[in-house]
Amino acid sequence: MKTSYVLAIAMSTSVCVGGIAYGADATADTTTDAQKASLHKTIETCGVCHGVDGRSVSPTFPNLAAQQAPYIELQLKAFKDQSRADPDAQAYMWGMASQLNDATISALAGYFAAQPAASGRGGNSALIAQGKHLFEEGVPARQIPPCATCHGAHAAGLAVFPRLAGQHAPYLLKQLLVIQSVLRTAPVMHGVIKDLTKDQMQAVVAYLESI
Amino acid sequence: MTRVRHIWSSTSLLQWLGFGLCVSVTTPGWAVPSFARQTGMACAACHTVFPELTPFGREFKLNGYVLDNIKQVTGIDTSAHQTLALNSIPPISLMAQISYTHTGAALPDSVLNGALAKDGDLLFPQQVSFFYAGKIADGLGAFIQLTYDGVGDSFGFDNTDIRYAHHFSFGGSNDNSHTMIVGVTLNNNPTVQDVWNTTPAWGVPYSNSSVAPSQPTSAKVDSGAGGFGQNVGGLGVYIWLDDHFYAEITDYTSAIRGGAHPLDSTQSNVVSGSAPYWRVAYEQRWDRNSLSVGAFGLNANLHPGLQGVTNTALAGVTDRFKDTAADVQYQFIGEDHLFTFLGTYISEHQTLNASVLDGFAANTDNNLKTLKLTGEYYYQRRIGGTIGYFSTTGGSDAVLYAPAPLTGSANNSPDTSGYLLEVNYLPWLNTKLQAQYVGYKKFNGQSTNYDGSGRNASDNNTMYLLVWLNF
Repeated sequence: MKTSYVLAIAMSTSVCVGGIAYGADATADTTTDAQKASLHKTIETCGVCHGVDGRSVSPTFPNLAAQQAPYIELQLKAFKDQSRADPDAQAYMWGMASQLNDATISALAGYFAAQPAASGRGGNSALIAQGKHLFEEGVPARQIPPCATCHGAHAAGLAVFPRLAGQHAPYLLKQLLVIQSVLRTAPVMHGVIKDLTKDQMQAVVAYLESI
Repeated sequence: MTRVRHIWSSTSLLQWLGFGLCVSVTTPGWAVPSFARQTGMACAACHTVFPELTPFGREFKLNGYVLDNIKQVTGIDTSAHQTLALNSIPPISLMAQISYTHTGAALPDSVLNGALAKDGDLLFPQQVSFFYAGKIADGLGAFIQLTYDGVGDSFGFDNTDIRYAHHFSFGGSNDNSHTMIVGVTLNNNPTVQDVWNTTPAWGVPYSNSSVAPSQPTSAKVDSGAGGFGQNVGGLGVYIWLDDHFYAEITDYTSAIRGGAHPLDSTQSNVVSGSAPYWRVAYEQRWDRNSLSVGAFGLNANLHPGLQGVTNTALAGVTDRFKDTAADVQYQFIGEDHLFTFLGTYISEHQTLNASVLDGFAANTDNNLKTLKLTGEYYYQRRIGGTIGYFSTTGGSDAVLYAPAPLTGSANNSPDTSGYLLEVNYLPWLNTKLQAQYVGYKKFNGQSTNYDGSGRNASDNNTMYLLVWLNF
């Protein structure tokens, strides 16, 4: 495992960490070492699917490295209060987030946001070019604004608008589909992508995975 | 979840040695909602389709079954060291299997020579199991199964794996760093502690008829007749390095339940001293794929003890079994499509000094070679099927494989091969409806009149219908 989260752990020791894993939630908050150990275990637990460095192997699980910390916090809280209810959220994250306290959520968000971003992966160049155009220009004829408007010119995200660059294309496609079908609630996105076709989705996620 | 064996009492042993000699003694039983209750995660996190594990499921088990996402009952001492971390809701669950078995030709009556048993057998239930499966304390977890067996009409201890796991990191905080889990397992069935579905305790078929004839002879490390399951206790240590490399060694000795204790000549196949089991495996994951290759083995010296109606003392020379196996597993876990390939090859060399001396075998040196190949496909974890091939070959032995109706061999051979076809439908993730067909190309050496009493291998072909509930 390639990991470099000692600094992040050190940065997060000022918060009261309630772990989710290995029963470390209630009693491990009284010393700095206990806080470190608790967060360490929690990160390892997250890392089983997302990678300890935030770069996941399976596209079922999103990369978290370099993700916007406010977005991670928002999503973890949405998993915890079950307001994010798409199928994978229910299957995996409702349980995982259920015992997280706010301090741990903040620490986890800070840790993963500080990890180096995943590298882009190439693919069908024509599809990527189509996706780039869509990301940067939108589809004016169908009132679909450019994705870059909120997610940034380089798809790095901003605050609660998530980083999309380098994300697994199958994960992004699934999110677009569940947001469009309102299985996942995302108020801004519901309006933006309501007329986005699946072909257009595939193009834009291919582009995002490549950068 | 683990494969479940029937519980054999001393009284049922005689039945086993008689009519039931080639009837399956294994019925699996896993998929434990206890884990879902403890983790708050759906079955799909740990299983492709139960009981097969996903990479996350393997991690969960290797970590000691301790990942919890429910409120804890806790305690600390004055140094703030944790003294208790207990699930507020116990991770318990139930499993029920109801089955119907139909064979190609009716089986012989168990008492009346020349008569036939009823053609078609409903087991209600085939098996019901109670599980405690989950965390006991920080780092310590257990999978404990108690089973009611519908054939034996008995309730008893079943597969158990209690383990402690601890994480280590070393190599600094750069890209050269490593993580390692070091664990200790206390279990009662070689390979029940394993995390791949290529090893016998969790291998295919995940469920099969407990009343139909099946592979009559198997290696000691295998899950069939004569195996070690639930009749041994083992203490082992394992490492899991960088999510890639696994190594384990576990030492087993006899822990036969029921019958005479301390163990004596009325018990069969008592381990002399201890029997070491070893396991290595390497797994690579990429995209939605995982591939593992590995090897495992078991060395055991056994006292034959009770064989048929003859007792021999637990002393003197022993039978020696040396099992060596290789396995490969590939999984693709897509959003809609799931595919698994499982391959296992087991070679057993037998040095039967004690059995030859006691008249239980003709040859001092025998061998068994078993090959199992399985492909599985599921669509959306809801409907799918299995195609499998199995084969066991070995040298002929006029005493071990003597002619006998149903269970014997006319040409003194253990050679058995065939295929497995299975269709499964899961209306819910914890409910499996299964139709399974097992066809035999060869049974105990031949395809026709294999037992010398006119029975053909295809007469043992089995249609098996199963309702499998976990809750």
